[in-house]
Amino acid sequence: MTKCDFCDDPAEFTDVQIKNGVHTTKNYCKLHAAEAGFSVAQVDLSVVLNMPSSKLPSTQNELRCPDCGMSIAQYKETSLLGCPTCYETFADQLKHIIANVQDNHTQHIGRAPTSESVDVSRHLEVRRLLKQLDKAVTQEKYEQAADIRDKIRALHDGEEHLAH
Amino acid sequence: MTKFALFMMEKNTLHIDPEKNCPFNRDDSPFGDVVLSSRARLARNLEGFPFVHRSSTSDCEEVTSLVHRICDNPEDKNALEWINLDELDALSTELFVERHLVSSDLAHASHPRAVAVGAELSRSVMVNEEDHIRIQSIRPGLQLEEAKNDVLSLDDRVEGVIAYAFDDQIGFLTACPTNVGTGARFSVMLHLPALRIIKDLQRVRSACEGMSLAIRGYQGEGSKAIADLYQVSNQVTLGYTEEQLCSIIADEFLPPVISWEREARKTIVANQFEELDDQTHRSLGLLQSARMLQLHEAMQCLGNVRLGICTGLLEGIDIKAINKLFIEIHPSHLRWKFGAETPDTKIPTLRSAFIREKLF
Repeated sequence: MTKCDFCDDPAEFTDVQIKNGVHTTKNYCKLHAAEAGFSVAQVDLSVVLNMPSSKLPSTQNELRCPDCGMSIAQYKETSLLGCPTCYETFADQLKHIIANVQDNHTQHIGRAPTSESVDVSRHLEVRRLLKQLDKAVTQEKYEQAADIRDKIRALHDGEEHLAH
Repeated sequence: MTKFALFMMEKNTLHIDPEKNCPFNRDDSPFGDVVLSSRARLARNLEGFPFVHRSSTSDCEEVTSLVHRICDNPEDKNALEWINLDELDALSTELFVERHLVSSDLAHASHPRAVAVGAELSRSVMVNEEDHIRIQSIRPGLQLEEAKNDVLSLDDRVEGVIAYAFDDQIGFLTACPTNVGTGARFSVMLHLPALRIIKDLQRVRSACEGMSLAIRGYQGEGSKAIADLYQVSNQVTLGYTEEQLCSIIADEFLPPVISWEREARKTIVANQFEELDDQTHRSLGLLQSARMLQLHEAMQCLGNVRLGICTGLLEGIDIKAINKLFIEIHPSHLRWKFGAETPDTKIPTLRSAFIREKLF
């Protein structure tokens, strides 16, 4: 039987965290779990299962933008989104917010960008690959990192080739 | 020495003559009796970067250097002068705020940021404001269409050097969802003293409400009306073209409002002539004789004198000079003229002297 990491009582709760690709596991008895801030109240599953979905504890607050890490709760504090990708990440929630502030309009009909230079596309691609490289290194996926590095080099070489 | 004749950068101080470089120097000011100025503004962001409030210093630097390329063409007739706000002295920065060329938030932020300004100090491209890019143009009188064309042409130029964050459904992606779609904000500064006197401003407010327009004071959001000056702008930015948004203000909202104000002026001249005659001459007397003028008092007197000129009660005063004074009597403009170190306590005295010099 697994014991609590903080006393000799049997562990009733396990907290698994993954940070920078490293797993850490902590075991808690009921008392120490409560002290660590976990909710240890008895949950009657039948109540949860019969609850209408709108009354279920929201998990949307935990949804984070993959590009900038912003959550919808943070948006609500500042009324500012974190990056262009947030519009995609929080599309469901933003649909109502946008309709509300924009007189129920939901479709853009004004001007749109017309061109994108090769130079700009290359710059954005390098930025995207650098982010992927950072993630691969953090997760210790070195083979993948080497591939990404080669792609970045190729893009740089192309740039130099164009410059000459 | 820079390529731009209007400016000379020396030891990070921007040497300009705010009197010579002012959109109000122009003679064309359509419907200038009621419409003081027209402004168009576009909000844009770069694809692939976090919005400014979530950006690191290096993100901000990268955005700044990418946008800087709009100033790369030395042959360009519509040259823009690039100014890194970190390198600009405090007085010039404040002067830009008073000119509405940069926002107060942008001026006082600590992250890397810049502004590219055009001739007459009427066009600007702000970099790393709430959005990566804010493009704007100010023109005298009712020239919203022209201001719109100014910003769209600058937009093409910026788009030539960077990639915008854009979505087919919701348009240009902005840090705040209130700006998505066109990212366009069109506004007009209106002088409505007669409607205030006959207590009929509610008519204007109702018209704004019916057309989803916002009405604010002289300093924009959250400010009170000074000198009977009101700023009216579109609230909705999505679901309309730039032309439609511009037209709602210029062709639908303004014609009746201009005629209401003009009618109200006629009514006052006909029915309250003595009071109007007294008020305009009293204000003129104050501007002529006072030796210390606070900003608010001076603005209100200028507003009353403006009404006197437009109703024909006061003659021999150039309305252009009044329009310029609304800007030039702000503290940083006065410090520019009389010395950067001028203490706050001296400003009211210098303000009254400056007004006398310009008007009498």
